[in-house]
Amino acid sequence: MICSKDIIYMDYAATTPVDDRVARLMCECMTREGVFANPASRSHQLGRDAQGRVEMARHEIASLLGASQTEIIWTSGATESDNLALKGVAHSLQDQGRHLITSKTEHKAVLDTARQLEREGFDVSFLIPADQGRVTAEQVAAELRDDTILVSIMHANNETGVVSDIASIGKLCRERGILFHVDAAQSAGKLPIDVEEMCVDLLSVSGHKIYGPKGIGALYVRSCPATRLEPLIHGGGHERGMRSGTLPTHQIVGMGEAFRLARHQMEPETHKLTGLRDRFWAGISKLGGVLLNGHRDARIPGILNVSIEGVEGESLLFALRELAVSSGSACTSASREASYVLRALGRSDQLAQSSIRFSIGRYTTEDEIDRAVAIVAEQVHRLRGLAPKTPVTSDREAG
Amino acid sequence: MDSLDYSQQVRDRFERPANAGRLLGPVISGAAGEEGLGTRVEFDFRLRSGTVEESAFRVYGCPHAIAAASWVAENARDRRLDDTSWMDPLRLAALLEVPEHKLGVLLVVQDALEAAAAKFDQSEDR
Repeated sequence: MICSKDIIYMDYAATTPVDDRVARLMCECMTREGVFANPASRSHQLGRDAQGRVEMARHEIASLLGASQTEIIWTSGATESDNLALKGVAHSLQDQGRHLITSKTEHKAVLDTARQLEREGFDVSFLIPADQGRVTAEQVAAELRDDTILVSIMHANNETGVVSDIASIGKLCRERGILFHVDAAQSAGKLPIDVEEMCVDLLSVSGHKIYGPKGIGALYVRSCPATRLEPLIHGGGHERGMRSGTLPTHQIVGMGEAFRLARHQMEPETHKLTGLRDRFWAGISKLGGVLLNGHRDARIPGILNVSIEGVEGESLLFALRELAVSSGSACTSASREASYVLRALGRSDQLAQSSIRFSIGRYTTEDEIDRAVAIVAEQVHRLRGLAPKTPVTSDREAG
Repeated sequence: MDSLDYSQQVRDRFERPANAGRLLGPVISGAAGEEGLGTRVEFDFRLRSGTVEESAFRVYGCPHAIAAASWVAENARDRRLDDTSWMDPLRLAALLEVPEHKLGVLLVVQDALEAAAAKFDQSEDR
């Protein structure tokens, strides 16, 4: 349970609190008694100690992804990883082709990067998911061209939690000799990932989505056959020349521990979250007019995105302020525009505006779920009671 | 003020909107807006000799729309329905601290009040 200003935290898809075990290890790498030295300072023992911690963490990331340790590049987060993957491939392979494929429901980190590449003269195909939010291999196959150099499809959608069939898309790309990038910021540590089996060439992950610190991420870059990337950041040649800059040991160690814990806890945590999510859905669906957004079965357990009929979106969000939830993704909710992801799934502007993403995690309890159901029920009844379509049952309806 | 940071008066009226509901029987009603466009406001007024004796409102809209409709329903009492000049959207925006980009919401509320006034103008009770 997270106790902060009596608010029930249901925004784990936006970020997670740092696990206490992670925080303890991070603290060991910050102060003068700890492993604070620059991991690039191999001329002395303190630097080599830091390098050892960094490599242990790199091993943890690789283990969760079925990758080799040498294939993990540290970045500042999944946004930078996505930028490095798309721009790095595009700039490196532009002599071979200038066409990329992605989907309209990707995170802005991919969409905005793809649009930047369009401004640079690349051609990008944006797929509209066909199967209740899922991008299929058949859709990708229909868009492949002789000059396609990269396909980028996310594993689990950050707004709906819907999971695409990455392995089928990967197999298709491998057969056609086209690089395949996956944004796995929402799925790492929640779904099994094996970059070999899934035929993935590049994969973005983040620390803060699975109880690690913010400001750290990684990009898996296949080494065999070698994937060529033009770096975004130059200066020092760190990370095999693909991402220069002094490595933040404490954040890397934190992300490594978070990934280690996720690997060991994935199965029981999935079981627990599925039970809590189903309990929550059973509670709020009784209200009527509550529509599940996205595929019913192909989804990660922690995210439930619903549209609620008969209530206006801004009033709904304000009425639910005892719950920390998102309207659309946290990255776009400040704009109060209807979610582009839900619009791409065919929801009307009005229903997209009245959508809420509830996301639960490691510290969510049954008691919190039951309280959240009660709050949603009370506020939705109240707002629907104010609305013009309320049926007449007495001389004066209570507001 | 960010989009979910409301004035105390808006918060109070959102939580406890005075006069929310529907009046049955002989009333003059007015409506404006569309739910599909984000705001729909409806008023009912019960009159005695052209003066508002009782009022009620219904709203589909943001907290500012709810607060504004509640304020109008409350302040219409004891006024003649053929004079709506007291409902000045700019003054109401200042009173409720409604941000500039939400002024359109207050215009919908004003339109609903004026729609009721127009019906009153055409009614035999005038």
